[in-house]
Amino acid sequence: MTKTYPRATLKEYGYKDYSVLKKIYKVFSIVAVILIVIGLYLSIIMLAIQSVNSSSSVTSFNSFTLKWYAEMFSVRSLKTAIQNTIVTSIIATILATMLGTLIAVGIYSFEKKKRQAIMLFNNIPLLNADIVTGISLMLVFSMLLPIFPYIFGPTTLIMAHLFFTLPYVILSVIPKLKETDPNLMDAALDLGVRPFKALRKVIVPAITAGIFSGMLLAFTMSIDDFVISYYTTGNGFDNLSIWIYGSMGRKSLTPSVYAFSTILTLVTMLTMVGYQWFQRKGRKVHVKR
Amino acid sequence: MNKGFKIFAKPYIVWLALLAILPMFVMLILAFMYSEGLSFEEAYFTFFQFQMLGEYSILTAFFNSFLYATITTVISLVLGYFVAYNVHKSKFKNKFLILTILILPMWSNLLLRIEALGNLMEPNNIITQWLNINGDLSIKGTMPAVIIGLVLTYMPFMILSVYTALEKIDYSLEEAALDLGLTPMQKFWKVIFPLSLKGVATGSILVFLPSMSGFAIPEFLGSGNILLIGNVIEAAFRNMDYNLGSLLSVILLFVILGALIIVSKVDKEGETLL
Repeated sequence: MTKTYPRATLKEYGYKDYSVLKKIYKVFSIVAVILIVIGLYLSIIMLAIQSVNSSSSVTSFNSFTLKWYAEMFSVRSLKTAIQNTIVTSIIATILATMLGTLIAVGIYSFEKKKRQAIMLFNNIPLLNADIVTGISLMLVFSMLLPIFPYIFGPTTLIMAHLFFTLPYVILSVIPKLKETDPNLMDAALDLGVRPFKALRKVIVPAITAGIFSGMLLAFTMSIDDFVISYYTTGNGFDNLSIWIYGSMGRKSLTPSVYAFSTILTLVTMLTMVGYQWFQRKGRKVHVKR
Repeated sequence: MNKGFKIFAKPYIVWLALLAILPMFVMLILAFMYSEGLSFEEAYFTFFQFQMLGEYSILTAFFNSFLYATITTVISLVLGYFVAYNVHKSKFKNKFLILTILILPMWSNLLLRIEALGNLMEPNNIITQWLNINGDLSIKGTMPAVIIGLVLTYMPFMILSVYTALEKIDYSLEEAALDLGLTPMQKFWKVIFPLSLKGVATGSILVFLPSMSGFAIPEFLGSGNILLIGNVIEAAFRNMDYNLGSLLSVILLFVILGALIIVSKVDKEGETLL
């Protein structure tokens, strides 16, 4: 006589059914991520709305207009501020990219212990509070005043930007240097190429990706900087951030600056998406071949 | 690499010594002196600035800075980790594009973004006009306003650092954890989170330091009600009180030195700092 036992259910084996919970969590996380992204974009959206508002007041919306876009450069001081920002950022970025790459190669040639010590110092401009960096540079430049009475202005601004962008370039180039085959350089030298030419023809092509991402970072940091520029520029040489800070203090911000910012955002967005699209297309063609 | 290339790094060491290390000593000297701006003719040695440290406003500013920066870091960590983890888990092929979308707001001017946020926090603004809200929802000038501003400004740094750390975790470790019978929740807390701590550390530092020392965000979103240490330093230098400003900067430098040591411990060559 065999006794029939009820069949054991999955639950009795210790299995817990999480599928409903999982679904709820999935929906929740998608919604939450979207909300956070909207939060990050809140200010950009507000800027875009303010830039097409026909009233220059930010408290009420009158009607849609594009006149601020047309009048973007009609405010003289804004136009010079934009020009100053672009010129100083481009000069600082170019210098930081070229010098930073060379310095990174130099740092990489040191043995590990020394390299880590230099990297510790290299992190100072990166981690230091902007206000402390700005004041530090101002103090150093002030000490130069007896020798160069007119140093404050474009020169100090570019030097300051170079100071805080160099570490970014160095930090993005060094990982790429680590990835390159250490024999590449020796091979080039064995084949009779001079060291500097080998650097240019062999090493630099191998680390281009790092150089470019460093350049992008440097430009991003440089074009948006306010605090350090505020302390290191001279009288009458404003970049965009300083101009905005001044206008905000006087409550006289023109909507043209919202228009400029919105255009800049749209252009960067399109560039990034376009770059991505081209890259993917390029990859597909490559695979087909 | 060719040892001869060391020559490229040497000028940079001098450059860092002159522009990063030297001013620290100048500030240290200024902190112990009384001087008219930067002229040392009638300067003399004094501890006067140290008495100022006991002032109520300065103590509050320090306390507020730490409080606000800590709250900002915690909120950014929770939300930023959540976003980074979901992007990491998502099935999108082009994760780089998603990350770009997350960082893109950083590319428009910080001050303008703050101003736009500030407008949203006013009692009357375009959104309340559209939605026909008449009640006063304004939070400008309060603590939540400043913290919202700080979180929305600095969270992308957290997202990026955590994401970089998550991407470096070997997927087979996760499979192994599940094979060995961990639930997804346990897998996250026992395997993934500990492995991403490097990114959490650098991300927290990258959020904590600027929120502690910045002066533009509390100035505009706090409408002058909220003073952080950055505001006090800025005011000191604006009023030509270089001595007090230097002393406060030196104190700030010690905090940063602590951060520098943490970074050099978790990440010897600064790889997660980007």
